[in-house]
Amino acid sequence: MLRLGRHEFGDDEALMMAIVNRTPDSFFDKGATWAEDAAFERVRLVASQGAEIVDIGGIKAAPGAEIDAAEEKARVVDFVARVREEFPELVISVDTWRAEVGDAVCAAGADLINDAWGGADPELVDVAAAHGAAIVCTHTGGVTPRTRPYRIEYDDVVRDAIDSTLGYAQRALDAGVAKDSIVIDPAHDFGKNTFHSLEITRRLGEMVETGWPVLVSLSNKDFVGETLDQPVGERLLGTLAATSVCALAGARIYRVHQVPETRQTVDMVWTIAGRRRPKRAIRGLQ
Amino acid sequence: MTRVALVPGCLALLPEYASLDDPVEELRAACLAAVAWLGEEVRVVAGAQGTRVASALLAAVGSAPVSGAEAAYLIVGNGSARRSEKAPGHLDPRAAEFDEMLGRSLATPDADALGGLDRALAAELWADVDPIAVSADLLRGVDTVAIDYDADPYGVRYWVARWAPRA
Repeated sequence: MLRLGRHEFGDDEALMMAIVNRTPDSFFDKGATWAEDAAFERVRLVASQGAEIVDIGGIKAAPGAEIDAAEEKARVVDFVARVREEFPELVISVDTWRAEVGDAVCAAGADLINDAWGGADPELVDVAAAHGAAIVCTHTGGVTPRTRPYRIEYDDVVRDAIDSTLGYAQRALDAGVAKDSIVIDPAHDFGKNTFHSLEITRRLGEMVETGWPVLVSLSNKDFVGETLDQPVGERLLGTLAATSVCALAGARIYRVHQVPETRQTVDMVWTIAGRRRPKRAIRGLQ
Repeated sequence: MTRVALVPGCLALLPEYASLDDPVEELRAACLAAVAWLGEEVRVVAGAQGTRVASALLAAVGSAPVSGAEAAYLIVGNGSARRSEKAPGHLDPRAAEFDEMLGRSLATPDADALGGLDRALAAELWADVDPIAVSADLLRGVDTVAIDYDADPYGVRYWVARWAPRA
C-alpha cells in the first residue's frame, strides 16, 4: 500500500501527478498558470483528466530571481487550502525544499512534500513526520537548489541515485515518516547531464527493485530535448517514449504536464506488463 | 431425469480473458444463474474449449464437474459465428435461418430436430452444435424452464437455456 497523506493506493496502481505551477517563469508553461485563477483552472482540468495528484510549485527549478520563503508561501499556501476545499479527492503535493514552507502547506492541507532538491533542508523530514504527510526523496548529486549541473560525473549514476535516495528515505523513517509514505525519485536532469538521465531511464528497474515506490519526472525535460534535438514545445513523443521505459520497469508515480497522453501510455505499458487488465477485450473471444 | 442447461462456449467468460469492463456482463450473469440452478453435481457435455468455459462457470458458483449418475447436465454450445459482416466468420446468408431453426428447437425443445442437426452445415456456419446434437436425448421428457438469454451481441448467436423434467 502507498499512503499519501489522506489517501491510500494499492501497489498495482500507477498514479498521475499533474504539475501545477504558481510561477511566472517555469520552463514549459512560461507562466500560463501564474495567476491564481488560471492555476485553479489547471487543477480543475487535470482533475477531470483523472490525475490522482496535483504537484503545486511556487518556485521554478532553474536559476532565476530569488524567491524567499515568505514569497513562496504567499504563492502556494492559500492556494493549497482552496484546492483542498474544492477537490477533497485529489492528493495535494507541494514542490518545495524548505521546511518552513512545507510546514505551512501541510497545515493548509497538503498530503505530500515533493522535495525536488534532495533534502537540502534537513528539517523537511521532521515537518512531514509531524503532519503525517508523505515525502518524495530525490537524487540531485548534492547540488545546491536551483543550480544547473556543471561537469558533474559519477562512477555509477544509478548506484549514486539509489544510495542517496535510500539514505534520504532512512532519514525520513528516523524522523518518523511512515514507511508506506516514502517515495524515491532519481530526478532526471537534476545534477545530471543527458547521458546520466538516459542511463537512469535505461536502468530504472534497479531503483524499483529496492522496493520503494519510484516517482519519475520526465516531462518535456532537456534530456529529451537534447536526445531528439527538439525545443520545449516538441518533446511530448520523446517524453512518452521515456515514460514507456519507466513504466515497464515499474515506476509508480509520473509527474507530468500532459495527463491524458501519459495516462494512456502508462496504461498501455502497465497492461503489457500484466499489471492491468485491458479495458474491454472481446475480439476473437466471442 | 434431471435438470439440463445450455450455455455458449464464449471464451470471454474465462477469468484469464477478463477485462476491466465486462463485455459479456449480461451473458455472464445469465450463465452463472443457470449453472447455479443445476445444483452442485453437474456433468459437462462440451468440446475442449467448452469444457474450460463450463469448468470456469462451475468454479465461479462453487461447483465442479462430476460423472455421477444423478448429476445434472451442462451443455456448452452456440449458434453461428457468421451472422454479420462484423462477425468472426463474416456474413453467411444461411446463418440466420439455421439459427432460427436451432433456437426454435431449443425452446420447444424438439429432441428429434436437435439430434438430426445438419452438422456439416453447422461447421460451415461456425456453429458449435456437436455437444447439443449428441445430448439431444436428454431433452426428451423435459419442459423448457426458461430461455434466459437469446442474442448475438458480437456476431455469434448465444442462448442460455434451462430445462427440467416434466412434472
